[in-house]
Amino acid sequence: MRGSVAVRHWRSQRISALALIPLALWLVESLLTHLGEDRTQIRTWLGQPIPATLAAAVVAVMFFHLALGVRVVLEDYVHTPGRLAAALVANRVACWALALVALGAVATLAFGF
Amino acid sequence: MTPAERPLSPHLQIYRPQLTSMLSVTHRGTGLALGIGTIFFVWWLSGAAWSAACYGAAQAFWGSWLGKLFLLGWTFSLFYHLLNGVRHLLWDVGIGFDLRSTYRTGWTVVAFSVLLTLFAFGGGLYAWMAP
Repeated sequence: MRGSVAVRHWRSQRISALALIPLALWLVESLLTHLGEDRTQIRTWLGQPIPATLAAAVVAVMFFHLALGVRVVLEDYVHTPGRLAAALVANRVACWALALVALGAVATLAFGF
Repeated sequence: MTPAERPLSPHLQIYRPQLTSMLSVTHRGTGLALGIGTIFFVWWLSGAAWSAACYGAAQAFWGSWLGKLFLLGWTFSLFYHLLNGVRHLLWDVGIGFDLRSTYRTGWTVVAFSVLLTLFAFGGGLYAWMAP
């Protein structure tokens, strides 16, 4: 990583980590409460504005933080330049794709489509 | 151009295991485990939004022994990564960086991760089984 890029990566990782402290606790509490429920109950729960907003925030910050973390691991363990470049792109594509699908699902539930 | 043969820092297999290095490796491991977990999370969420069959399959998985084992692993991973992450954030602002504090906070993270996992997972199972 170039200097300025590395600094931004470092800072982004810490800021997203701070944001994830309350968000992750909310996620654990929510999953423990709602994981056993049937689909109708989940739809009612995530159909409310506050849970839906928090779920969207969790998804956005979580995948941002995940992409940053996986990038560091790949840079440490993938030593072939071509393979590393491909792995870094795959990481970004996968994190973006998962985040978009999850946000789409939250939006669908929130707006009751 | 052939890169010069430079000395490498000790690899995991060579390094003598000690609390500090083990906790560092575990931070990465739990981070990656949580990354895998997000795929299951998106599967479940998509099912809730778009497909009853998909949601049912996800629910059946959480209900299975393997699913519960995974959930236990992710619960621990999340608490560990969260607590050890706070430890990292404190180091970043220069708190607890001496060896004694590092060991003390390290053991604290391990103890609280286990306790919170048992508490949360036990509570979740209880809520699940309760009529």
